[in-house]
Amino acid sequence: MNEVPVQVADVSLAYRLARNRAGTFKEFAIQMLRRQVTIEKLWAVQHASFEVKRGEVFALIGPNGAGKTTLMKVVARVLPPTDGRVIVRGSLAPMISLGAGFNPELTGYENIVLYGTLLGRDPRDMRESAARIADWAGLTDFMDVPVRSYSSGMLARLGFSIASDIDPDVLVVDEVLAVGDEAFQHKSFDRMMAMMNSGTAVLLVTHQLDKVLEMADRVLWLDKGRVRMIGEPEEVVGLYRESVG
Amino acid sequence: MRTNTYYDSAQTRRPLLTEFANFWSYRGLLRLLVTRDLTVRYKRSILGVWWTLLNPLLTTAVLWLIFGKLFGDRFATEGEPYVLYLLAGVLLMTFFSQGMLSTGAAITNASGILSKVYVPAEVFSLSTAVAAGVNLVIGLVPLVIIQVTSGVGVPWTVALVPIPALAMLALVTGLGLLVASAAVYFYDILDITRVLVQLVYYLTPVFWPISIAGRFEPWVKASPLFSYVDVFRDVAYRGVIPPLWELAMIVVSSMLFLALGVWVFSKGWKNLVGSL
Repeated sequence: MNEVPVQVADVSLAYRLARNRAGTFKEFAIQMLRRQVTIEKLWAVQHASFEVKRGEVFALIGPNGAGKTTLMKVVARVLPPTDGRVIVRGSLAPMISLGAGFNPELTGYENIVLYGTLLGRDPRDMRESAARIADWAGLTDFMDVPVRSYSSGMLARLGFSIASDIDPDVLVVDEVLAVGDEAFQHKSFDRMMAMMNSGTAVLLVTHQLDKVLEMADRVLWLDKGRVRMIGEPEEVVGLYRESVG
Repeated sequence: MRTNTYYDSAQTRRPLLTEFANFWSYRGLLRLLVTRDLTVRYKRSILGVWWTLLNPLLTTAVLWLIFGKLFGDRFATEGEPYVLYLLAGVLLMTFFSQGMLSTGAAITNASGILSKVYVPAEVFSLSTAVAAGVNLVIGLVPLVIIQVTSGVGVPWTVALVPIPALAMLALVTGLGLLVASAAVYFYDILDITRVLVQLVYYLTPVFWPISIAGRFEPWVKASPLFSYVDVFRDVAYRGVIPPLWELAMIVVSSMLFLALGVWVFSKGWKNLVGSL
Protein backbone atom coordinates (compact mmCIF):
# COMPACT_ATOMS: atom_id res chain seq x y z
CA MET A 1 0.00 0.00 0.00
CA ASN A 2 1.23 3.43 -0.90
CA GLU A 3 2.51 5.59 1.90
CA VAL A 4 1.15 8.86 0.51
CA PRO A 5 -2.56 8.48 -0.30
CA VAL A 6 -3.19 12.20 -0.80
CA GLN A 7 -0.98 14.47 -2.87
CA VAL A 8 -1.97 18.06 -3.55
CA ALA A 9 0.46 19.91 -5.79
CA ASP A 10 0.18 23.65 -6.39
CA VAL A 11 -3.61 23.51 -6.49
CA SER A 12 -5.68 26.60 -7.23
CA LEU A 13 -9.40 26.79 -7.61
CA ALA A 14 -11.38 29.63 -9.11
CA TYR A 15 -15.13 30.06 -9.07
CA ARG A 16 -16.20 31.75 -12.25
CA LEU A 17 -18.44 34.70 -11.63
CA ALA A 18 -19.91 36.86 -14.31
CA ARG A 19 -19.73 40.51 -13.32
CA ASN A 20 -23.28 41.84 -13.13
CA ARG A 21 -24.02 38.18 -12.76
CA ALA A 22 -27.17 37.59 -14.69
CA GLY A 23 -29.37 35.00 -13.00
CA THR A 24 -31.50 34.53 -16.03
CA PHE A 25 -30.77 33.92 -19.65
CA LYS A 26 -32.85 36.94 -20.65
CA GLU A 27 -30.71 39.31 -18.57
CA PHE A 28 -27.59 37.64 -19.86
CA ALA A 29 -28.67 38.09 -23.47
CA ILE A 30 -29.40 41.76 -22.87
CA GLN A 31 -26.07 42.34 -21.14
CA MET A 32 -24.29 40.45 -23.87
CA LEU A 33 -25.75 42.78 -26.47
CA ARG A 34 -24.59 45.75 -24.43
CA ARG A 35 -21.17 44.10 -24.02
CA GLN A 36 -21.39 44.28 -20.24
CA VAL A 37 -20.48 40.69 -19.53
CA THR A 38 -17.09 40.01 -18.08
CA ILE A 39 -16.33 36.66 -16.54
CA GLU A 40 -14.44 37.18 -13.33
CA LYS A 41 -12.48 34.54 -11.51
CA LEU A 42 -12.82 34.39 -7.78
CA TRP A 43 -9.83 32.49 -6.44
CA ALA A 44 -10.97 30.46 -3.44
CA VAL A 45 -7.69 28.54 -3.12
CA GLN A 46 -4.31 29.54 -4.51
CA HIS A 47 -1.15 27.47 -4.86
CA ALA A 48 -1.85 25.00 -2.10
CA SER A 49 0.52 22.06 -1.78
CA PHE A 50 0.56 19.33 0.83
CA GLU A 51 0.61 15.59 1.31
CA VAL A 52 -1.20 13.35 3.76
CA LYS A 53 0.51 10.12 4.72
CA ARG A 54 -1.06 6.83 5.74
CA GLY A 55 -2.50 6.94 9.24
CA GLU A 56 -1.89 10.65 9.50
CA VAL A 57 -4.46 13.15 10.71
CA PHE A 58 -4.07 16.36 8.77
CA ALA A 59 -6.16 19.31 9.95
CA LEU A 60 -7.11 22.46 8.05
CA ILE A 61 -7.74 25.54 10.13
CA GLY A 62 -8.46 29.14 9.28
CA PRO A 63 -11.15 31.79 9.52
CA ASN A 64 -14.50 31.53 7.74
CA GLY A 65 -14.18 32.01 4.01
CA ALA A 66 -10.52 30.98 3.97
CA GLY A 67 -11.22 28.24 1.45
CA LYS A 68 -11.02 25.24 3.77
CA THR A 69 -14.17 23.55 2.55
CA THR A 70 -13.29 24.32 -1.07
CA LEU A 71 -9.91 22.68 -0.62
CA MET A 72 -11.57 19.64 0.96
CA LYS A 73 -13.93 19.37 -1.97
CA VAL A 74 -11.02 19.50 -4.38
CA VAL A 75 -9.44 16.55 -2.59
CA ALA A 76 -12.80 14.73 -2.45
CA ARG A 77 -13.03 15.05 -6.26
CA VAL A 78 -16.19 17.15 -6.02
CA LEU A 79 -14.51 20.21 -7.56
CA PRO A 80 -11.88 19.74 -10.27
CA PRO A 81 -8.88 22.02 -9.62
CA THR A 82 -8.50 25.01 -11.93
CA ASP A 83 -4.72 24.64 -11.78
CA GLY A 84 -2.38 22.16 -10.18
CA ARG A 85 -2.87 18.49 -9.56
CA VAL A 86 -4.55 16.25 -7.01
CA ILE A 87 -3.84 12.55 -6.65
CA VAL A 88 -5.79 10.30 -4.30
CA ARG A 89 -4.73 6.67 -4.06
CA GLY A 90 -7.31 4.28 -2.68
CA SER A 91 -10.91 4.66 -1.61
CA LEU A 92 -12.13 7.95 -0.21
CA ALA A 93 -15.03 8.49 2.18
CA PRO A 94 -16.32 12.06 2.23
CA MET A 95 -18.06 13.28 5.37
CA ILE A 96 -19.19 16.65 4.17
CA SER A 97 -22.71 17.69 5.23
CA LEU A 98 -23.79 14.19 6.15
CA GLY A 99 -27.05 13.05 4.69
CA ALA A 100 -27.08 15.63 1.91
CA GLY A 101 -28.17 12.91 -0.46
CA PHE A 102 -31.10 11.68 1.60
CA ASN A 103 -34.50 11.69 -0.01
CA PRO A 104 -37.18 12.63 2.56
CA GLU A 105 -39.87 10.47 0.96
CA LEU A 106 -37.79 7.29 0.98
CA THR A 107 -37.53 5.04 4.03
CA GLY A 108 -34.44 4.72 6.17
CA TYR A 109 -33.55 1.43 4.51
CA GLU A 110 -34.00 2.83 1.00
CA ASN A 111 -31.87 5.83 1.90
CA ILE A 112 -29.07 3.63 3.24
CA VAL A 113 -28.91 1.85 -0.11
CA LEU A 114 -29.19 5.07 -2.15
CA TYR A 115 -26.70 7.11 -0.11
CA GLY A 116 -24.18 4.27 0.03
CA THR A 117 -24.44 3.86 -3.73
CA LEU A 118 -23.93 7.61 -4.19
CA LEU A 119 -20.74 7.20 -2.17
CA GLY A 120 -19.57 4.69 -4.73
CA ARG A 121 -20.55 1.39 -3.16
CA ASP A 122 -22.36 -1.46 -4.84
CA PRO A 123 -26.17 -1.45 -4.23
CA ARG A 124 -26.18 -5.21 -3.56
CA ASP A 125 -23.40 -4.74 -1.05
CA MET A 126 -25.42 -1.94 0.60
CA ARG A 127 -28.53 -4.11 0.96
CA GLU A 128 -26.44 -6.64 2.85
CA SER A 129 -24.85 -3.99 5.08
CA ALA A 130 -28.09 -2.10 5.77
CA ALA A 131 -28.99 -3.97 8.95
CA ARG A 132 -25.52 -3.44 10.41
CA ILE A 133 -25.57 0.28 9.52
CA ALA A 134 -29.03 0.78 11.03
CA ASP A 135 -28.01 -1.06 14.16
CA TRP A 136 -24.89 1.02 14.64
CA ALA A 137 -26.90 4.22 14.26
CA GLY A 138 -29.45 2.86 16.76
CA LEU A 139 -32.22 3.21 14.19
CA THR A 140 -33.22 -0.41 13.53
CA ASP A 141 -36.83 0.30 14.52
CA PHE A 142 -37.10 3.20 12.09
CA MET A 143 -35.96 1.47 8.91
CA ASP A 144 -39.41 1.34 7.30
CA VAL A 145 -40.27 4.95 8.10
CA PRO A 146 -39.71 7.77 5.57
CA VAL A 147 -36.76 9.86 6.76
CA ARG A 148 -38.84 13.05 6.59
CA SER A 149 -40.14 12.03 10.02
CA TYR A 150 -36.60 11.67 11.43
CA SER A 151 -35.19 14.28 13.78
CA SER A 152 -32.05 16.13 12.70
CA GLY A 153 -30.04 14.09 15.19
CA MET A 154 -31.32 10.85 13.73
CA LEU A 155 -30.47 12.01 10.22
CA ALA A 156 -26.93 12.91 11.26
CA ARG A 157 -26.48 9.56 13.00
CA LEU A 158 -27.67 7.66 9.96
CA GLY A 159 -25.44 9.74 7.69
CA PHE A 160 -22.37 9.13 9.82
CA SER A 161 -23.12 5.43 10.12
CA ILE A 162 -23.39 5.00 6.35
CA ALA A 163 -20.33 7.08 5.52
CA SER A 164 -18.16 5.38 8.13
CA ASP A 165 -19.31 1.83 7.39
CA ILE A 166 -16.40 1.13 5.07
CA ASP A 167 -12.76 1.22 6.00
CA PRO A 168 -11.56 3.91 3.59
CA ASP A 169 -7.96 4.71 2.67
CA VAL A 170 -8.76 8.41 2.92
CA LEU A 171 -11.35 10.03 5.16
CA VAL A 172 -12.40 13.62 4.54
CA VAL A 173 -14.20 15.15 7.51
CA ASP A 174 -15.79 18.59 7.48
CA GLU A 175 -17.16 19.75 10.85
CA VAL A 176 -18.97 16.55 11.68
CA LEU A 177 -17.25 15.89 14.99
CA ALA A 178 -20.32 17.09 16.82
CA VAL A 179 -22.97 14.69 15.55
CA GLY A 180 -25.88 13.52 17.67
CA ASP A 181 -26.04 13.35 21.43
CA GLU A 182 -23.18 12.92 23.90
CA ALA A 183 -23.20 9.12 23.74
CA PHE A 184 -23.21 9.05 19.97
CA GLN A 185 -20.44 11.65 19.80
CA HIS A 186 -18.22 9.34 21.85
CA LYS A 187 -19.16 6.40 19.71
CA SER A 188 -18.42 8.21 16.43
CA PHE A 189 -15.20 9.64 17.81
CA ASP A 190 -14.04 6.16 18.76
CA ARG A 191 -14.89 4.85 15.34
CA MET A 192 -12.88 7.59 13.68
CA MET A 193 -9.95 6.93 15.96
CA ALA A 194 -10.11 3.23 15.08
CA MET A 195 -10.00 4.12 11.40
CA MET A 196 -6.98 6.34 11.89
CA ASN A 197 -5.18 3.63 13.81
CA SER A 198 -5.84 1.16 11.01
CA GLY A 199 -3.95 3.39 8.56
CA THR A 200 -6.63 5.66 7.15
CA ALA A 201 -5.34 9.08 6.15
CA VAL A 202 -7.63 11.73 7.61
CA LEU A 203 -8.20 15.22 6.32
CA LEU A 204 -10.04 17.23 8.92
CA VAL A 205 -11.66 20.65 8.81
CA THR A 206 -12.87 22.10 12.08
CA HIS A 207 -13.11 25.25 14.14
CA GLN A 208 -12.70 23.30 17.38
CA LEU A 209 -9.02 23.99 17.98
CA ASP A 210 -8.96 21.77 21.08
CA LYS A 211 -9.94 18.82 18.91
CA VAL A 212 -7.17 19.77 16.48
CA LEU A 213 -4.57 19.72 19.25
CA GLU A 214 -5.94 16.42 20.50
CA MET A 215 -6.16 14.57 17.20
CA ALA A 216 -4.02 16.15 14.50
CA ASP A 217 -0.48 15.14 13.55
CA ARG A 218 0.03 18.15 11.32
CA VAL A 219 -1.94 21.32 10.72
CA LEU A 220 -2.36 23.57 7.70
CA TRP A 221 -3.38 27.17 8.30
CA LEU A 222 -5.30 28.59 5.39
CA ASP A 223 -5.91 32.31 5.08
CA LYS A 224 -7.72 34.02 2.19
CA GLY A 225 -7.14 30.99 0.00
CA ARG A 226 -3.40 30.85 0.64
CA VAL A 227 -1.38 28.53 2.83
CA ARG A 228 -0.02 30.55 5.77
CA MET A 229 1.89 27.66 7.27
CA ILE A 230 2.06 23.90 7.70
CA GLY A 231 3.52 22.35 10.81
CA GLU A 232 3.18 20.88 14.28
CA PRO A 233 -0.27 21.39 15.85
CA GLU A 234 0.98 23.30 18.93
CA GLU A 235 3.00 25.73 16.86
CA VAL A 236 0.43 26.41 14.13
CA VAL A 237 -2.58 26.57 16.44
CA GLY A 238 -0.63 28.84 18.79
CA LEU A 239 0.28 31.31 16.06
CA TYR A 240 -3.22 31.14 14.62
CA ARG A 241 -4.72 31.95 18.04
CA GLU A 242 -2.36 34.88 18.37
CA SER A 243 -3.36 36.28 14.98
CA VAL A 244 -7.04 35.98 15.78
CA GLY A 245 -6.41 37.68 19.09
CA MET B 1 -16.53 -0.83 -3.61
CA ARG B 2 -15.83 1.51 -6.43
CA THR B 3 -13.71 -0.30 -8.95
CA ASN B 4 -11.53 2.68 -9.72
CA THR B 5 -9.88 3.82 -6.51
CA TYR B 6 -7.27 6.04 -8.04
CA TYR B 7 -8.02 9.67 -8.74
CA ASP B 8 -5.67 11.90 -10.66
CA SER B 9 -7.06 15.32 -11.51
CA ALA B 10 -4.55 15.64 -14.33
CA GLN B 11 -6.10 12.76 -16.23
CA THR B 12 -7.49 14.22 -19.41
CA ARG B 13 -11.21 14.02 -19.93
CA ARG B 14 -12.20 12.54 -23.25
CA PRO B 15 -15.52 14.01 -24.34
CA LEU B 16 -18.08 11.26 -25.07
CA LEU B 17 -15.78 8.41 -23.98
CA THR B 18 -15.61 9.58 -20.36
CA GLU B 19 -19.37 10.06 -20.15
CA PHE B 20 -20.28 6.72 -21.67
CA ALA B 21 -17.75 4.96 -19.44
CA ASN B 22 -19.40 6.68 -16.45
CA PHE B 23 -22.87 5.57 -17.58
CA TRP B 24 -21.61 2.01 -17.56
CA SER B 25 -19.67 2.02 -14.31
CA TYR B 26 -22.49 3.79 -12.46
CA ARG B 27 -25.25 1.51 -13.79
CA GLY B 28 -26.11 0.34 -10.27
CA LEU B 29 -26.76 3.91 -9.16
CA LEU B 30 -28.59 4.56 -12.42
CA ARG B 31 -31.07 1.80 -11.68
CA LEU B 32 -31.67 3.12 -8.15
CA LEU B 33 -32.21 6.66 -9.42
CA VAL B 34 -34.69 5.50 -12.06
CA THR B 35 -36.74 3.59 -9.46
CA ARG B 36 -36.57 6.60 -7.15
CA ASP B 37 -37.82 8.88 -9.95
CA LEU B 38 -40.70 6.55 -10.75
CA THR B 39 -41.83 5.88 -7.19
CA VAL B 40 -41.13 9.02 -5.16
CA ARG B 41 -43.35 11.23 -7.30
CA TYR B 42 -46.42 9.24 -6.28
CA LYS B 43 -45.37 8.35 -2.73
CA ARG B 44 -48.11 10.37 -1.09
CA SER B 45 -50.94 9.52 -3.44
CA ILE B 46 -53.79 7.03 -3.23
CA LEU B 47 -53.27 5.41 -6.62
CA GLY B 48 -49.46 5.45 -6.36
CA VAL B 49 -47.54 4.25 -9.39
CA TRP B 50 -50.82 3.52 -11.19
CA TRP B 51 -50.68 7.18 -12.13
CA THR B 52 -47.96 6.34 -14.65
CA LEU B 53 -50.59 4.25 -16.39
CA LEU B 54 -53.46 6.70 -15.86
CA ASN B 55 -51.72 9.90 -16.97
CA PRO B 56 -51.44 9.13 -20.71
CA LEU B 57 -54.89 7.50 -20.67
CA LEU B 58 -56.52 10.59 -19.16
CA THR B 59 -54.72 12.92 -21.59
CA THR B 60 -55.85 10.70 -24.43
CA ALA B 61 -59.42 10.65 -23.13
CA VAL B 62 -59.57 14.44 -22.98
CA LEU B 63 -58.11 14.89 -26.46
CA TRP B 64 -60.44 12.20 -27.80
CA LEU B 65 -63.47 13.96 -26.33
CA ILE B 66 -62.50 17.30 -27.83
CA PHE B 67 -61.01 16.38 -31.17
CA GLY B 68 -62.67 13.04 -31.76
CA LYS B 69 -66.20 13.93 -30.65
CA LEU B 70 -66.67 17.69 -30.30
CA PHE B 71 -65.13 18.53 -33.67
CA GLY B 72 -66.96 15.69 -35.37
CA ASP B 73 -64.93 14.06 -38.11
CA ARG B 74 -62.62 16.96 -38.92
CA PHE B 75 -59.75 15.14 -37.21
CA ALA B 76 -60.74 11.70 -38.45
CA THR B 77 -57.84 9.50 -39.42
CA GLU B 78 -58.12 7.43 -42.57
CA GLY B 79 -57.90 3.67 -42.25
CA GLU B 80 -57.02 3.58 -38.53
CA PRO B 81 -58.96 4.14 -35.28
CA TYR B 82 -58.53 7.69 -33.98
CA VAL B 83 -58.07 6.44 -30.40
CA LEU B 84 -55.04 4.38 -31.35
CA TYR B 85 -53.59 7.22 -33.38
CA LEU B 86 -54.06 9.51 -30.40
CA LEU B 87 -52.76 7.21 -27.67
CA ALA B 88 -49.65 6.24 -29.64
CA GLY B 89 -48.89 9.91 -30.34
CA VAL B 90 -49.51 10.95 -26.74
CA LEU B 91 -47.31 8.16 -25.38
CA LEU B 92 -44.30 8.99 -27.50
CA MET B 93 -44.61 12.77 -27.21
CA THR B 94 -45.07 12.52 -23.43
CA PHE B 95 -41.77 10.65 -23.38
CA PHE B 96 -40.29 13.62 -25.23
CA SER B 97 -41.86 16.50 -23.31
CA GLN B 98 -41.70 15.04 -19.79
CA GLY B 99 -38.26 13.64 -20.48
CA MET B 100 -36.97 17.01 -21.71
CA LEU B 101 -38.25 18.85 -18.64
CA SER B 102 -37.07 16.35 -16.03
CA THR B 103 -33.72 15.77 -17.72
CA GLY B 104 -33.19 19.50 -18.14
CA ALA B 105 -33.74 20.01 -14.41
CA ALA B 106 -31.83 16.89 -13.32
CA ILE B 107 -28.46 18.49 -12.60
CA THR B 108 -29.78 21.56 -10.77
CA ASN B 109 -32.12 19.32 -8.76
CA ALA B 110 -29.19 17.15 -7.70
CA SER B 111 -27.03 20.14 -6.67
CA GLY B 112 -27.29 19.15 -2.99
CA ILE B 113 -25.60 15.85 -3.75
CA LEU B 114 -23.26 17.00 -6.52
CA SER B 115 -21.69 19.73 -4.39
CA LYS B 116 -20.88 17.32 -1.58
CA VAL B 117 -20.13 13.92 -3.03
CA TYR B 118 -18.34 13.00 -6.22
CA VAL B 119 -20.88 11.51 -8.63
CA PRO B 120 -20.71 12.12 -12.39
CA ALA B 121 -23.49 14.66 -13.01
CA GLU B 122 -24.41 13.10 -16.35
CA VAL B 123 -25.69 10.00 -14.54
CA PHE B 124 -28.54 12.08 -13.09
CA SER B 125 -29.53 13.31 -16.55
CA LEU B 126 -29.52 9.83 -18.01
CA SER B 127 -31.61 8.48 -15.12
CA THR B 128 -34.45 10.96 -15.67
CA ALA B 129 -34.46 10.25 -19.41
CA VAL B 130 -34.61 6.50 -18.74
CA ALA B 131 -37.46 7.05 -16.24
CA ALA B 132 -39.45 8.84 -18.95
CA GLY B 133 -38.74 5.87 -21.21
CA VAL B 134 -40.01 3.41 -18.61
CA ASN B 135 -43.26 5.37 -18.57
CA LEU B 136 -43.55 4.75 -22.30
CA VAL B 137 -43.02 1.02 -21.83
CA ILE B 138 -45.75 0.95 -19.15
CA GLY B 139 -48.03 2.89 -21.50
CA LEU B 140 -47.66 0.17 -24.12
CA VAL B 141 -49.92 -2.07 -22.02
CA PRO B 142 -53.16 -0.08 -22.54
CA LEU B 143 -52.13 0.51 -26.17
CA VAL B 144 -51.95 -3.23 -26.82
CA ILE B 145 -55.21 -3.77 -24.93
CA ILE B 146 -56.99 -1.26 -27.17
CA GLN B 147 -55.42 -2.85 -30.24
CA VAL B 148 -56.80 -6.23 -29.25
CA THR B 149 -60.25 -5.05 -28.19
CA SER B 150 -60.75 -2.79 -31.21
CA GLY B 151 -59.96 -5.66 -33.57
CA VAL B 152 -56.86 -4.03 -35.05
CA GLY B 153 -54.68 -6.73 -33.57
CA VAL B 154 -51.02 -6.72 -32.66
CA PRO B 155 -48.75 -6.84 -35.72
CA TRP B 156 -45.31 -8.52 -35.67
CA THR B 157 -43.72 -5.12 -36.25
CA VAL B 158 -44.37 -4.40 -32.57
CA ALA B 159 -41.02 -6.11 -32.04
CA LEU B 160 -39.45 -3.06 -33.71
CA VAL B 161 -40.81 -0.61 -31.10
CA PRO B 162 -37.35 -0.45 -29.43
CA ILE B 163 -36.04 1.39 -32.51
CA PRO B 164 -38.11 4.60 -32.09
CA ALA B 165 -38.06 4.19 -28.29
CA LEU B 166 -34.27 3.98 -28.03
CA ALA B 167 -33.83 6.76 -30.59
CA MET B 168 -36.11 8.93 -28.45
CA LEU B 169 -34.08 8.01 -25.36
CA ALA B 170 -30.90 9.18 -27.08
CA LEU B 171 -32.58 12.38 -28.29
CA VAL B 172 -33.98 13.22 -24.85
CA THR B 173 -30.67 12.45 -23.14
CA GLY B 174 -28.71 14.63 -25.56
CA LEU B 175 -31.07 17.58 -25.68
CA GLY B 176 -31.72 17.25 -21.94
CA LEU B 177 -28.00 17.41 -21.11
CA LEU B 178 -27.75 20.51 -23.28
CA VAL B 179 -30.57 22.16 -21.32
CA ALA B 180 -29.27 20.87 -17.97
CA SER B 181 -25.79 22.30 -18.58
CA ALA B 182 -27.24 25.70 -19.43
CA ALA B 183 -29.73 25.62 -16.54
CA VAL B 184 -26.82 25.59 -14.08
CA TYR B 185 -26.03 29.15 -15.14
CA PHE B 186 -29.48 30.44 -16.03
CA TYR B 187 -32.57 29.25 -14.24
CA ASP B 188 -35.03 30.55 -16.80
CA ILE B 189 -33.64 28.20 -19.43
CA LEU B 190 -36.09 25.68 -17.97
CA ASP B 191 -39.03 28.03 -18.51
CA ILE B 192 -37.91 28.69 -22.06
CA THR B 193 -37.60 24.93 -22.59
CA ARG B 194 -41.12 24.36 -21.30
CA VAL B 195 -42.53 26.78 -23.88
CA LEU B 196 -40.45 25.32 -26.71
CA VAL B 197 -41.41 21.76 -25.81
CA GLN B 198 -45.08 22.71 -25.84
CA LEU B 199 -44.66 24.37 -29.20
CA VAL B 200 -43.02 21.26 -30.64
CA TYR B 201 -45.83 19.14 -29.16
CA TYR B 202 -48.48 21.10 -31.04
CA LEU B 203 -46.48 21.26 -34.27
CA THR B 204 -46.13 17.48 -34.29
CA PRO B 205 -49.16 15.49 -35.45
CA VAL B 206 -50.14 14.07 -32.06
CA PHE B 207 -53.90 14.66 -32.13
CA TRP B 208 -54.29 15.99 -35.66
CA PRO B 209 -53.82 13.91 -38.82
CA ILE B 210 -51.06 14.96 -41.20
CA SER B 211 -53.64 15.46 -43.98
CA ILE B 212 -54.90 18.56 -42.13
CA ALA B 213 -51.57 20.35 -42.64
CA GLY B 214 -52.30 20.97 -46.34
CA ARG B 215 -49.53 22.94 -47.99
CA PHE B 216 -47.53 22.97 -44.74
CA GLU B 217 -47.17 19.20 -44.90
CA PRO B 218 -43.52 19.28 -46.10
CA TRP B 219 -42.67 21.59 -43.20
CA VAL B 220 -44.31 19.35 -40.64
CA LYS B 221 -42.44 16.38 -42.05
CA ALA B 222 -39.15 18.29 -41.94
CA SER B 223 -39.27 18.23 -38.13
CA PRO B 224 -37.43 15.15 -36.85
CA LEU B 225 -40.18 14.56 -34.28
CA PHE B 226 -42.67 13.83 -37.04
CA SER B 227 -40.54 10.84 -38.00
CA TYR B 228 -40.29 9.55 -34.42
CA VAL B 229 -44.06 9.61 -34.01
CA ASP B 230 -44.78 8.19 -37.45
CA VAL B 231 -42.25 5.38 -37.12
CA PHE B 232 -43.68 4.54 -33.69
CA ARG B 233 -47.23 4.35 -35.08
CA ASP B 234 -46.09 2.29 -38.06
CA VAL B 235 -44.49 -0.41 -35.95
CA ALA B 236 -46.77 -0.27 -32.89
CA TYR B 237 -50.14 -0.84 -34.52
CA ARG B 238 -50.18 -0.16 -38.28
CA GLY B 239 -47.97 -3.18 -38.95
CA VAL B 240 -46.04 -1.31 -41.61
CA ILE B 241 -42.29 -1.15 -42.18
CA PRO B 242 -41.51 2.58 -41.82
CA PRO B 243 -40.15 4.46 -44.85
CA LEU B 244 -36.38 4.47 -45.05
CA TRP B 245 -36.08 8.27 -44.90
CA GLU B 246 -37.97 8.37 -41.61
CA LEU B 247 -35.75 5.69 -40.13
CA ALA B 248 -32.68 7.57 -41.32
CA MET B 249 -34.11 10.75 -39.84
CA ILE B 250 -34.56 9.32 -36.35
CA VAL B 251 -31.26 7.47 -36.28
CA VAL B 252 -29.22 10.42 -37.53
CA SER B 253 -30.99 13.07 -35.44
CA SER B 254 -30.85 11.04 -32.22
CA MET B 255 -27.15 10.26 -32.58
CA LEU B 256 -26.37 13.83 -33.57
CA PHE B 257 -28.17 15.41 -30.62
CA LEU B 258 -26.83 12.81 -28.19
CA ALA B 259 -23.28 13.53 -29.29
CA LEU B 260 -23.86 17.28 -29.25
CA GLY B 261 -25.42 17.28 -25.78
CA VAL B 262 -22.75 15.08 -24.24
CA TRP B 263 -19.98 17.04 -25.94
CA VAL B 264 -21.26 20.43 -24.74
CA PHE B 265 -21.72 19.02 -21.23
CA SER B 266 -18.19 17.65 -21.29
CA LYS B 267 -16.74 20.98 -22.38
CA GLY B 268 -18.49 22.86 -19.59
CA TRP B 269 -18.00 20.14 -17.00
CA LYS B 270 -15.03 21.70 -15.22
CA ASN B 271 -16.98 24.73 -14.02
CA LEU B 272 -20.27 22.92 -13.55
CA VAL B 273 -20.25 21.90 -9.87
CA GLY B 274 -18.55 25.13 -8.76
CA SER B 275 -21.40 27.07 -10.36
CA LEU B 276 -24.26 25.11 -8.81
